[in-house]
Amino acid sequence: MSEKTDVLQGTLDMLILKAASLGPLHGYGILLRIQQISKDRLEIQQGSLYPALYRLEHGGWIRSEWGESENNRRAKYYSLTAAGKKRLQAETEKWSRMADVIAGILSAKAGEV
Amino acid sequence: MEPEFAAARTEVRATGGGVRVWSGVKSRIRSLAERESVEREMDEELRFHVERYAEDLLRRGVGREEAMRRARVEFGGVEKLKEECREASGWQWMEELAQDIRYGLRMLRKNPGFTAVAVLTLALGVGANTAIFSVVYAVLLKPLPYAHAEQLFNVFQEQAQDSSAKTGWSYLNFEELRTGNGVFSAMAGAQQHQLTLTGHGEPAVINTSVVTPEFFSLFGEKPIAGRLFFDEDGKSGAPPVVILGENLWRGLFGADEKIIGSAINLDKVAFTVVGVVPAKFRFPQMTESQQLWIPLVHDPLFGSWMARRGGHWLQVTGRLKPGVSVTRANAELEAISRRLTAEFPAENSGWMSRMIPLQQMIVGNVKTALLLMLGAVGLVLLMACANIANLLLTRATSRTREMAVRTAMGAGRGRIVRQLLSENLVLGILGGGAGIILAYAGVRALTAFMPASLPMGNEARVDAVVLGFGLLLSAVASCAFGLAPALFAAKANVNESLREGDGRSGESGGRRRARSVLAAAEVALAMVLLVVAGLLLRSFSKLLAVDPGFAVQNMVKAEVYLPRTQYATPERWSAFSSELLTRIQAEPGMKNAAVAVPLPLADGFVNLGFEIEGTPPKTAAESRTANYVAVSPEYFQVMGIPLLAGRFIDAHDVMASARVSVISKTLARTYFANQDPIGKRLLFGFPPDGGEAREIVGVVGDVRDVALEQEPRAMMYAPFAQAPLTGAVMIVKSSLSASSVAAAIRRDVQAMDKDLPVTEIAQMADVLRRSVAQPKFRTFLLGLFAAMALVLAATGIFGVISYSVSRRTREIGVRMALGASRREILGMILQETLLLAATGLAVGIPCALGAARLLGHLLFGVSAGDPATLVAVGSALAGVALLAGYLPARRAMRVDPMVALRYE
Repeated sequence: MSEKTDVLQGTLDMLILKAASLGPLHGYGILLRIQQISKDRLEIQQGSLYPALYRLEHGGWIRSEWGESENNRRAKYYSLTAAGKKRLQAETEKWSRMADVIAGILSAKAGEV
Repeated sequence: MEPEFAAARTEVRATGGGVRVWSGVKSRIRSLAERESVEREMDEELRFHVERYAEDLLRRGVGREEAMRRARVEFGGVEKLKEECREASGWQWMEELAQDIRYGLRMLRKNPGFTAVAVLTLALGVGANTAIFSVVYAVLLKPLPYAHAEQLFNVFQEQAQDSSAKTGWSYLNFEELRTGNGVFSAMAGAQQHQLTLTGHGEPAVINTSVVTPEFFSLFGEKPIAGRLFFDEDGKSGAPPVVILGENLWRGLFGADEKIIGSAINLDKVAFTVVGVVPAKFRFPQMTESQQLWIPLVHDPLFGSWMARRGGHWLQVTGRLKPGVSVTRANAELEAISRRLTAEFPAENSGWMSRMIPLQQMIVGNVKTALLLMLGAVGLVLLMACANIANLLLTRATSRTREMAVRTAMGAGRGRIVRQLLSENLVLGILGGGAGIILAYAGVRALTAFMPASLPMGNEARVDAVVLGFGLLLSAVASCAFGLAPALFAAKANVNESLREGDGRSGESGGRRRARSVLAAAEVALAMVLLVVAGLLLRSFSKLLAVDPGFAVQNMVKAEVYLPRTQYATPERWSAFSSELLTRIQAEPGMKNAAVAVPLPLADGFVNLGFEIEGTPPKTAAESRTANYVAVSPEYFQVMGIPLLAGRFIDAHDVMASARVSVISKTLARTYFANQDPIGKRLLFGFPPDGGEAREIVGVVGDVRDVALEQEPRAMMYAPFAQAPLTGAVMIVKSSLSASSVAAAIRRDVQAMDKDLPVTEIAQMADVLRRSVAQPKFRTFLLGLFAAMALVLAATGIFGVISYSVSRRTREIGVRMALGASRREILGMILQETLLLAATGLAVGIPCALGAARLLGHLLFGVSAGDPATLVAVGSALAGVALLAGYLPARRAMRVDPMVALRYE
């Protein structure tokens, strides 16, 4: 099994936003998708998903809607709002810039300093 | 790098901010309005997740039951999760508050006995405090009802060596003060008089305020009809004008607008009505109703005094210019005093000018008594809170299991404390609400029984400020009694509480100690209140036992006032009063009648300076004054004042004969210590006869003419025939009923002049009673509070000991089984009680002594550290405490060891 790393709250928000950006999903679906796109390398506590979902909805980044699931049961579907999209974009840029900087630091050779 | 990140963050915030706020609000409103459906949705959503996860596990080959179990376990605690979700969507605390309040109400309903006691106790405490506060607010705290009342000062004069008597000014000095100062923007003078109103129904005597023209503009008052005084109205020779008070305008003149411009007769002089002022305007006497205002110059008595430089009769009020400090004003007053002394030494040497804020002057010395009242009732509330805290602690002990369960289910310490405080909030609201209702009744009772002499006392009512105070007090009290049990509950060790039985074997030491401390504290507080009440009671009884120096039983007094315009000369006054006296003495059963002005205790006193012929005139440093009374010959016999030397005033001392006087024992002792005063001459007289030489012909016993609690002052009597006044006060000693005496006097007066009303008819016994109305009132109130405190302390001790006995039932059973007699058990419990009481007393006695010292001038004839009171009160309190502990002790005695040991 690949290593599973713990996920911090801010990162969880971003992951949820990313998962929801790919199409409306219910809570369980979001959990599955995160595992999927992280290629099973991230472990998320099942319960902690929902307080995060409620918080994001309260803050206006995602919106929810009741709908029918695959097996004709009622489920609450979450999708991204415009504000959510913007935030996801900003966070993505921030992370990639951060990654560049760290990569730059870590790859510095003795002579370049 | 940092700035870039920060920029990104703010950018998001800026654009998303508006949307965020709105969605936040929407979410809050939704969660509030659709609480139930939101809950259901949450349940459904979480259930869906668990089922889907279980299905996945099923698909992977896990057994059905195992799948469900694993799904649930890995999902985590649903309740806690739901709570987190609820918290995330805002307004969680309000949910919890509503929950706690509902729970609290349920608990209260399940224990009606506890609820009743707690609510009643709190209601009494809050109600009493609110009622007393309404009086304190109306009298001491509420700003005077004038524009910028803080700029108003009473400017008075006092003698350098006798600063206790604040007196007024003479008109001429007042004018110098008014025109010659640079610190007051306006100044006005006022006095009071009684004038007879005729021509509108029965002749009536009306309280008239006599003022200088700037008076109303000084107070910033506006008329409700007509106009106020102009400066011209105050000049001599101007036509007499009068301003009506609204109450009189409505009462006597039916609020007729046409009265303005027409004339009314005061003392048989026509005054033109020029305006009406609102009923709420009152000055100078805040206790009597203000009915008429006339310019000073038109008053029959004071108008004639305006031309004299000497005398101290005009009450002066000044409005300080904005920005002027009090020190500067005082300095200016001092300069003016010095100037007046230099320019007019005869009248002004030895007199200083000072000022105090108007509010202070009106309130006078009731401040101590009122603050005492507030302090006492505050202590009662403290005790009530202690009692309720004890009750709650008792209940908390039986709720340890409940608290443990809550903690086990995930409630944090803060949450539990919040829950308990919210429950107490319910109690606080119920008790506080009931208390405020009690306060309404209490204020009504207070204003009904309050002594009339309390300035602005009848303004006390439950208005917005007082209501706010009551609510605040309830809130503070709730926190006070709620905190102790809440803190204890949150400390509970979860495992222990869940495991233990219902705790029959004892209880945590901390809780027990807290309750004992509270009970002992109550005893201490009760001690303080009881000692204070006891001291006041002793003072009051000593006051009642004081011998006023004259007869009080079967004495009726009545006043007749002669209008100066009709009775212009002293001869006419003298003639009138002697004829009236003759008629009254001719009535059957009324031959013991006399005339005196002023009558001791009933009327104000007149204090005049005097000289002793043959001794050097008094210097500025000395004060030679005595209280002056003009009397008819029968006076001393009717009043029962004994003759100590020489003779009384008799029928031969008339206007035509040599001037005589009679002095009191104190005057003789003070000024004629080693000589015989008979034959010496005193120079004194009611203005304008200030310097008349009168031979001393007799010395009589002292009377307490100012107040019962004051030592008798030096007094000098002049024959009424030789120094008549425009009013006469009849005093009649008769075994007939007071109403027949009054009727007879009225008949005789009307026979002489049908337009003369007879006023101030009263029995001397009532006058005496009224003069001690204030001490009586405060003694009664404080006694009431002390009684409340005693009951609260007793209840507190009863509660603690009672609960202790029920907790120790097993221990008592064991002891009895091991051979302890019932007596020994009783002794054990009583010992516990005694320890509580003794601790309380030990703390309470020094506190009580301290409090007693604060009483100061309220005590009469008894010292603050009076040992008899301390001992009596202490033993009474100890006795009550023992009794309170005896009842549960008896229960302990009756414990059946078999039952106690068996019961788990």
